[in-house]
Amino acid sequence: MKYLIMCEGPNEKKIMDILIENNKLIVVPDDLVGREVYHARQIKTSPVVKTQLSMYGGEVEIWRIGDKQSDALSIPPQYKKQIKKITKYCTLPELEMLLIISEKMYKEYDKTKTQKHPKQFAKENIVFNKKKYKGDTKFYEEYYGRDIPKLIKAIQEYKHRNHSHGGDQHYLLEIVKP
Amino acid sequence: MKLLRIVANGFRNCKDDFVIDMIAKSKKTSEDKEYELLEVDEGLYVYSTVGIVGKNASGKTTTLELMDWCYDILSTFRLSGKQCVYKGISLDIIFYEKGFLYKYVTELDNSDTLEDSANFKNQKIYRKKYYKSKIKQLYSDDWEQQGIVEESIPEDFSLIYFVLKKTTIREIYYDAFIENAKNYNATFRLMELVELDYTILKKVLKIFDDNITDIKQVEEKNYSVTYRGEERKYSDKELFRFLSSGTTKGINLYIVAVISLKMGFDLVVDEIENHFHKTLVDNLIMLYKDKQVNKKNATLIFTTHYCELLDLFNRSDNIWITHSRDKIEIDNMYEKYGLRTELLKSKKFYQNAFDTAVNYEALMDLKRELMQ
Repeated sequence: MKYLIMCEGPNEKKIMDILIENNKLIVVPDDLVGREVYHARQIKTSPVVKTQLSMYGGEVEIWRIGDKQSDALSIPPQYKKQIKKITKYCTLPELEMLLIISEKMYKEYDKTKTQKHPKQFAKENIVFNKKKYKGDTKFYEEYYGRDIPKLIKAIQEYKHRNHSHGGDQHYLLEIVKP
Repeated sequence: MKLLRIVANGFRNCKDDFVIDMIAKSKKTSEDKEYELLEVDEGLYVYSTVGIVGKNASGKTTTLELMDWCYDILSTFRLSGKQCVYKGISLDIIFYEKGFLYKYVTELDNSDTLEDSANFKNQKIYRKKYYKSKIKQLYSDDWEQQGIVEESIPEDFSLIYFVLKKTTIREIYYDAFIENAKNYNATFRLMELVELDYTILKKVLKIFDDNITDIKQVEEKNYSVTYRGEERKYSDKELFRFLSSGTTKGINLYIVAVISLKMGFDLVVDEIENHFHKTLVDNLIMLYKDKQVNKKNATLIFTTHYCELLDLFNRSDNIWITHSRDKIEIDNMYEKYGLRTELLKSKKFYQNAFDTAVNYEALMDLKRELMQ
């Protein structure tokens, strides 16, 4: 059995890459299909994921990483036998919640959350190394890549603060090493 | 250095203004940026993999040879050993180097003194600074000619030397006929040249034949092979007979690919599927699409008859189709056919959407003859 980690966007992939490169996930690269994390919303639209699933051929548990992930993951018929379980790990309402928590701006954001999405709030308020957050992957790399404890702390605090996950929406903290 | 575009005239039996363009043309999704494209400068995307398909004798290999010629000029600043009449050929090569775009134009002629070498005539180099904001005018006519005088160098030497300065490997061409006994030596020499960790060869061997745990080069033409724990000595010709054709290609092509990925030069492969299980080809292509492996922006350019390989491409602008009409023509799948990315390319191929089907009547003619 291997894990297929499918991230909704490049920023989620960056977060997962940072965690796995620093041995902070409950799995190691050898546990992953193709030894890597993928940026793919659906299997059917990702030639990379399809090829890696076919090359591996064994049983797979899928971890979907994203925000709400309200769209169902459709499994192409050729992989139905292979895929044993699908679990969603979410950051609601958007991944930028981690940056907001790390910047200790949660209370400030909370006051404006009815008018602003976390992404917009982060773009307006978060600056690191004199660079404004523009929604780019490089920002995550620079912000968390050299400060893993900051990332872990944000993931822990997110779980502590957020109680809005639905029944099938798991927390990133569940796949981070204790 | 990254090759961006070639325009050739008078090259073999290719149509004039024969263009191969490596810059991404269609919409770039974030997934494409992750797997299909390489960012050589801010907003300047080229392909991680390029596929060239077409019927037999449609010009796929000729296209690769043209690219190989251009890479040779960019790598060694010379052109020789192509067993061809150079006279009458003109090339227009655009490449990127350290923040600038360069356009090199030259005419070729046969050298009077050196056998099978080309002379460069009427060479010119133009340059412009790359700006993301001007991405749509990359080829527009605002080039500045560089003041390099071609009389200052030997006539078989390209002015590109004054831009790139250092002779180095900028591409390796792995043609369909390369598999022979001499090739092991070339592979070992290359490994030595780039100081490749020897354990990589053992890992490659394990993929292709797990009975063979080690191959060492004893002398130029002699090898020591560990087969099922027993050491055997072979000459290169004996080794070529002993190993399966897949293992021979595996050793040579996979090692070259590893070096290309580590050093960031482009790899051009004719008939990539020859002797290989499909998974091995899939894997090779996937290595170039994986940025954690392909860290230095290497591009894999290949021809294939195996149209299922095109389903590994999420885009269609990195696929080219050759046709032999009066002359060899090349069409970009996106520009010519506007194929929607979600459609299975192999399916369209089998439906003859690209006019690449084998002549059915010719097949039946032969069968009719055999049935008599």
